[in-house]
Amino acid sequence: MSRSEKLRQRAKELLASKEVAMVIGYCAGSKPGLSQPAFITRPEEAQRLIFDSTCSQNLANYLLKVKNSGKVAVVAKGCDSRSIVVLLQENQIQRENLYILGVGCDGVVQNGAKSVSCLACQYPNPVIYDEMIGDEVEKPAPDPIVAKNDKEFEQLSSAERWQVLSEDISRCIRCYACRQVCPNCYCPVCFVDASMPQLVGRTHNLSDNMAFHIIRALHMAGRCVECGACHRACPMGIDLMRLNRRVARIVRERFDSVAGVDINKPPALTQFNPADPQEFIK
Amino acid sequence: MPEGNEFEPKIVAFLCNWCSYAGADLAGISRMHYPPSIRVIRVPCSGRVDPFFILQALQQGADGVLVSGCHPGDCHYLTGNYVARRRFAVLNDLLEFCGIEPGRVTFAWVSASEGERFAQLVKEVTEKVKGLGPNQKLKKELP
Repeated sequence: MSRSEKLRQRAKELLASKEVAMVIGYCAGSKPGLSQPAFITRPEEAQRLIFDSTCSQNLANYLLKVKNSGKVAVVAKGCDSRSIVVLLQENQIQRENLYILGVGCDGVVQNGAKSVSCLACQYPNPVIYDEMIGDEVEKPAPDPIVAKNDKEFEQLSSAERWQVLSEDISRCIRCYACRQVCPNCYCPVCFVDASMPQLVGRTHNLSDNMAFHIIRALHMAGRCVECGACHRACPMGIDLMRLNRRVARIVRERFDSVAGVDINKPPALTQFNPADPQEFIK
Repeated sequence: MPEGNEFEPKIVAFLCNWCSYAGADLAGISRMHYPPSIRVIRVPCSGRVDPFFILQALQQGADGVLVSGCHPGDCHYLTGNYVARRRFAVLNDLLEFCGIEPGRVTFAWVSASEGERFAQLVKEVTEKVKGLGPNQKLKKELP
């Protein structure tokens, strides 16, 4: 039995036994080679479920929107499960209202190519789950191209880095798609929407764009699971993962913490250690 | 004699109410001389300083930012500066990664008894920012 068939069968059983009120998974999209999230509430609809490399959306995002619908089953890849861990740590969802159908992931595909975030993936298997659908997959070797690009960027001078980054970020049209798809962006009033006082200008000039992207990255420090949803959602093709990867690396190297891996270890920026390095402070 | 058109940096200083602000006060009542480049904003704790404040100061035309709080262990709220320290560490590294010159934003611990140290710190920060020149990168142009 293939993985998709197994998934359909389990979803059907869970719904028929009324163990869960809804299964969140993926179904075929409007065009061949595309998929979209599916919200299945009746056992006979479970036939629509699929799982393959086109299933790129981070389904943890939808858990916040259906959190009052009773117990929900969710299909979770490695990064989805890490997002779920962060949401659990931040008390946004309840573990007892959740049934996690774990799936191993070989990387998702966008426009025929493997997504940038998947090239450096270290967690292809879910970190928490109630049951695994299919087998765990092997951890891939990190793609050298990403590491090489990062290294090249870091070796540029300060002025050149600003040049490269500002060319990229000046294209931002402030559509906030990156925020909308992020499973761990859930503030009722986002800092870009606050109007009393207005915190960041809504124009798309470089200064405001840069402030937006720096603060966005900072808000995700210690929480970003590098699923790459923002990167794939960006209509302007801005390399958002460059900032996210850097912030994740800062947190990993300075505070020895990886977002969403250990449910007992709170996000890095919500705690502190008196012995934290402080060489940058005078 | 300073020349008429020498660059005088504008520096926004976020000082914690309990230590650094008192330190600045001590420098004042001890009649210590330090450059008049800083504009002080008193905050309850260095933990109150959102990284956004720092970016907004730079956006609105500050040439440098100084954030100062109590030494670790001396916080009036016990742990405010520890939490702030993690946040500043990420911000500091990220700004450098983005290509903002190191030295544009300075973090320091100054206690209430360190008036002399405060005066010295402002001198150093002013010199550093003078060396970097006016802030061009994050400054918002007038529409």
